[in-house]
Amino acid sequence: MTDETVTPTPNRMEAANISPLRVNIDLPDEPLIKIRARRKFDLINLREFWEHRELLFFLVWRDLKARYKQTILGILWVILQPLLMTLVFTIFLGKLVRVQTGTTPYSLFLYAGLLPWTFFSNAVSSGSYSILASSQMITKVYLPRLIIPAAAVSVRFSDFLVASVVLILLMLYYGVQPGWQILLLPVLAVQITVLALALSALLSALNVKFRDTGTAMPVILQVWMFASPIVYPRSLVPARWEWAYQINPLTGIIEGFRSAFLGLPVNRQGLAISAVITLLLLVVSLLVFRRLEDDFADIV
Amino acid sequence: MKPIVSVRNISKQYHVGRPQGDRPSLRQAVTSAVMSPFSRLNGRSSDDTIWALKDISFEAMPGEVIGIIGRNGAGKSTLLRVLARITKPTSGEIDIYGRLGTLLEIGTGFHPELTGRENIFVNGTILGMKVKEIKRKFDEIVAFSEIERFLETPVKHYSSGMYLRLAFSVAAHFDPEVLLLDEIIAVGDISFQKKCFAKVKDISREGRTIFLVSHNLASIRALCKRVLLLQSGRLCDEEDMERVIGLYVNYKGDEETVGKNAD
Repeated sequence: MTDETVTPTPNRMEAANISPLRVNIDLPDEPLIKIRARRKFDLINLREFWEHRELLFFLVWRDLKARYKQTILGILWVILQPLLMTLVFTIFLGKLVRVQTGTTPYSLFLYAGLLPWTFFSNAVSSGSYSILASSQMITKVYLPRLIIPAAAVSVRFSDFLVASVVLILLMLYYGVQPGWQILLLPVLAVQITVLALALSALLSALNVKFRDTGTAMPVILQVWMFASPIVYPRSLVPARWEWAYQINPLTGIIEGFRSAFLGLPVNRQGLAISAVITLLLLVVSLLVFRRLEDDFADIV
Repeated sequence: MKPIVSVRNISKQYHVGRPQGDRPSLRQAVTSAVMSPFSRLNGRSSDDTIWALKDISFEAMPGEVIGIIGRNGAGKSTLLRVLARITKPTSGEIDIYGRLGTLLEIGTGFHPELTGRENIFVNGTILGMKVKEIKRKFDEIVAFSEIERFLETPVKHYSSGMYLRLAFSVAAHFDPEVLLLDEIIAVGDISFQKKCFAKVKDISREGRTIFLVSHNLASIRALCKRVLLLQSGRLCDEEDMERVIGLYVNYKGDEETVGKNAD
C-alpha cells in the first residue's frame, strides 16, 4: 500500500486527455521486428550484427576504460604478461634445456610466438565466459548476442596491439630487420582473431549450458600451448607427430607471425591449412551459437 | 489505422523441476545422449513443463498506453520478455512496425567505475540508440536527470536516487515507437515520479506505444486507457478497463471466475 501513497494523484481526466487521434505516425508496410518461435535451423543475422557495431565499440571501450581505472599498473600489465613469460621460458628452456632456434635469439623467437599466443589464449578464456558474465544484460535487453564474445575478443585484441610495440623494441635491440614478410601481419592478425572469435562464440554458448566448459578451458589451453610450436621450433618435433601439427590451426598462424616479424621463410601450406580449418570452425561455431542463443536468457 | 504491435497466439513453455539441479552437466548430457540417442540434449522427455503464457493474442495501436497487470507468476514479465526479444516464444507470432525500446531494469550495462557521462553513452547504445542520437539528446538527458554537477563522477559514488534518475532519463530519451516498461516508473522521489509520468504521457502523445507492467493500480489508472489482465498465463483483455481492474482486485485465487472471462 505504500506504493499508492507516493504516486502522484491519479487523475482519470488527465489520462483521457491522451488522444490517440492526434497521432499521425507513418507505419512501415513491413514489420521492423518479426518475432517467431524458434526454428531448428537458423543462420546468424550478420547484417544485424553490423548494425550494432557502435554497441560493440562501446562495450569494448567500457571494459578498457574500467580496467584502466581499477589497476595501478594499467596498460603495463598488457606488456608484462608476455614479457614475464618470455623471461621464464628463456631461463628454463633457453638456458637450462638450451633449445636451438638457429640464428634467431631464443628470447626474440619466444616473444614473437608468445605475443600472438597470449592474445589467443586470453581472448578464448575471457570469450568463453563472456556470455555468463553478461547475464545481467542478456536477461534485461535484446542485443545480437554474438556482440558479447566479439567484444571480449576485441578487448584482448587491443592488448595485442599494445604488446606488439614491445616486440618492435626487442627487434631494434637485437638489430633484427624484418623482410617483405612483414606485409603478412594484417592477414595473420585477422586470421588469429577469427579463430579466437570462432572458439569464443562456440565455448561461450556451451558454457551457458554446460559449466564444465569453462572449468576445462585452462587445462585445454595449457595443453594446446605446448602442442603448438610456441616455445620451441617445429624442427624439434618427431616426424610421427607431424600430422598433429598440420591439423592444429595455430601452427600455421604462430609460424606465420614468426616469419613476418623475423623475416624467416613463410610456410604457405601451413597457413592455407590453418585458414581452411579456421573458416570451417567459424561456420560450425556460428551455427551452434545461433542454435543455443535462444535459450541464453532462460538458463543463464 | 493499422496496429503497430500485433501479437498472435503467443505461448511460452518452461521446463521446471529438472531431476538433478538446474542444468545438466556435460557428463549427464553425454550419458543421456549415449543411452537414448533420440532424445535431444534439452532432455524434453523427462521434464515437467509449465505454460508461462498460453495462446495470447492482442493488438496495440500507435499512441496507446497499455497496462499489464496480474498476480506474481501470472506471466507479466514473461510477456514483456517475449515482446522484448529477450526470450523466444514456444509458438505464435509477433509483428512490430517500429523500433522497440526495452526498460525492464534501470541502468542495464552501467559500469560503476565509469562516470555519468560515460555511462550515458554505454547505456544508450545498449538500449539501441545511435551515438549521433545520444549526442543530440545529451543535454536533454542530463537536464532531465538533474545530475549536471556529477556528470564527471563515477556512478559508484551516486546516491541510489541519482543513479535511478540518470538511468531512467537515458531510457526515456530513446524514442522508440514501442516502449516496454517494467514497474520502473516508480523511481525516485515524488517530484521525479511526476516528471516520469509526464514523460510517459508525452511519449504517448507523440504516437508512441507503451506497455507498462505494474502492481500499482493508481499509476495504471493514471496512465493507461486499456489493461491486459494475465491469469496463469492466459489473457483477459476487455474494453472496459475498470471492469478488468475490478476482476484483478476481486481475484482471490479462484481460477474459475477469471478463467471463464478469459475464454
